[in-house]
Amino acid sequence: MYADFIIIGMYLALMFVAGIFFSRNIKNTADYFLAARSAPWFWIMGAVWATNIGFLHGYLAHGGAAYEWGLIQANFEWFQGPFGYILTGIFFIAFYWRAGIYTVPHFLETRYGTGIRVIYSLAWIVIFIVTIAAELYLGGMFLKNILHIPFWPTVFVLTAVVGTYTLLGGLGAAIMMEFVQFIIMILGTMPLLFILLNLVGGFTGLKGVLIDQWGASLQYFTVLPDIHHPYGPGPWIIFGQCFVVTIGWCAGHQSMVQRNLGARSLYDAKLGYVVAAIPKTIGAFLYVVPMIFAPLIFARFGIFVEKADAAYGKLILNLLPSGMLGLFIAGLLSAGLSSISSVLNSSSTMVIKDIYERFMVKGKSDHHYFIAGRIATFGVIVASLLLVPVVLKVYLIMWLEQTLIAMALGPFMGVLVLGIFWRRTNTPGSLVGFLVGGAFAIFMQQGLGVHIFFQISWWSFVVTLITTIIVTRITKPPAEEKVEGITWESDFRAKLGEVLDQRAEKSGAKVEAIPKGKISRPSWYLNLKYWATAILLAQVLLLFFFG
Amino acid sequence: MEERKGADPKHILAVQMTSIGAILLILGLTVLLLSLGSLRSMENFIRVCAIASDFSIILVGLFFAIGGIIRLRRVKKV
Repeated sequence: MYADFIIIGMYLALMFVAGIFFSRNIKNTADYFLAARSAPWFWIMGAVWATNIGFLHGYLAHGGAAYEWGLIQANFEWFQGPFGYILTGIFFIAFYWRAGIYTVPHFLETRYGTGIRVIYSLAWIVIFIVTIAAELYLGGMFLKNILHIPFWPTVFVLTAVVGTYTLLGGLGAAIMMEFVQFIIMILGTMPLLFILLNLVGGFTGLKGVLIDQWGASLQYFTVLPDIHHPYGPGPWIIFGQCFVVTIGWCAGHQSMVQRNLGARSLYDAKLGYVVAAIPKTIGAFLYVVPMIFAPLIFARFGIFVEKADAAYGKLILNLLPSGMLGLFIAGLLSAGLSSISSVLNSSSTMVIKDIYERFMVKGKSDHHYFIAGRIATFGVIVASLLLVPVVLKVYLIMWLEQTLIAMALGPFMGVLVLGIFWRRTNTPGSLVGFLVGGAFAIFMQQGLGVHIFFQISWWSFVVTLITTIIVTRITKPPAEEKVEGITWESDFRAKLGEVLDQRAEKSGAKVEAIPKGKISRPSWYLNLKYWATAILLAQVLLLFFFG
Repeated sequence: MEERKGADPKHILAVQMTSIGAILLILGLTVLLLSLGSLRSMENFIRVCAIASDFSIILVGLFFAIGGIIRLRRVKKV
């Protein structure tokens, strides 16, 4: 056990030291918030996935839900891949990139005006603080259960490590650590699946025992269950999850988008997002599929699990030998730390760019906003720590966080889709649509008692679409110059930006923030279309076997 | 608005690669050294999994460390 403690301590110390070392290279706000726009596609791939996977959206909470509900939990991994990452990479990232923005709310302001930027950024800042608090809670509880370390000291150590490198190094340090964490997660935690397969006699053997001997339902082994499933009815997974939540998550989640804005070229940004679908798909084999084996292992070893969230920890504690366990825990900590650092960095970016610089203190030097960014990061850390005791009282953390997100993503997707694909959409329409959609989501949850967040996000998306279209139709259309260059028609005509750049240069529009790399045809093995097609085919095969 | 000159993106990338390589190498070697004792007592299959997992981390670390150092030298020459 001492070996495991040393490995974990060494891992945290390395993160801490590397963060401080890297921070010496950070000189202005573009370096701090956008990593000097230096990231190649494979950095983006690792960082996007590591951002997405944490304690909450990954190992502990998703693993716990998989233990309770079965393979249905894999729909996050096997639908988000094709629908979220690929579609966002191909259709949305170019618009963000060409708009020369720092944040998603900034894009909404460019298209619609100030009101929606304020509402959207405030909503996400709150969600981010809750997310960090929940991640810290899960991390603290996990180490407490596994290594019997006291809860609060663990939370403070995790906060100190992740806070230091994010606060000092900004997005560059966060992306760098996320890539390290991506490697450790994949290579350090993958052996669990093979060990379980070897122990139980393969997936078929497991299915046979659980269904024939234990009387488990067939739905436990399906990704898309029927409409009566209490946790995630199949049709709602398709409508709510595929068309709204996953695309909205990938295109509207500041942490995910910010990694792409730090890419060295638009092509790197798009390719990075598309190929991130590969580790996303593999993710299910790291924490969802192993938990399907968990009931059998627990029965074999006589282990009692009181809370689903604790199941993953109990499984590895009883299965892995010393040394391997330490590396595995480092992999799990990687998941949590990467999510915390990305959300921390993104929330401070939104606080500074969307609130402070936009409304409170305008026209100061770049250095002023750079320092303000670090102070904002510290502020978010303190706010999240203060929220941890509240999160302690909530049993289903994942449900709480996902419901909050579902309330924001439906309306966001409504105005984003209309904003990009329908030039007529105007400011009053989007603002009223966004507010009505958000209010409807709250009404569905609080008034109608709907708790399946796929349903909430789908219906709030539909209500936002309808309201925005109606209000837009009865009010004035937007000025042509306001929508030129940031809607699908214009971008399509401009072959994703080339003509748009020339137009922007003529009109003197602000495009200087985006470095213009050489326009060259990528090698065949880096072709976006080939990768997207191959990944989609792999998803179809997975759904064919497990659907 | 006054703007400070930012860092060189190529230098940033080289520093990131070197740091990633160093972290993975040190971590991989630490795990290897500390688990040498317990490797003997592990079941065969688990031992193979542990060794494969650790060596792949060391290998990736080595790859990034060498790549990062080469890039750092190139950036410094320019």
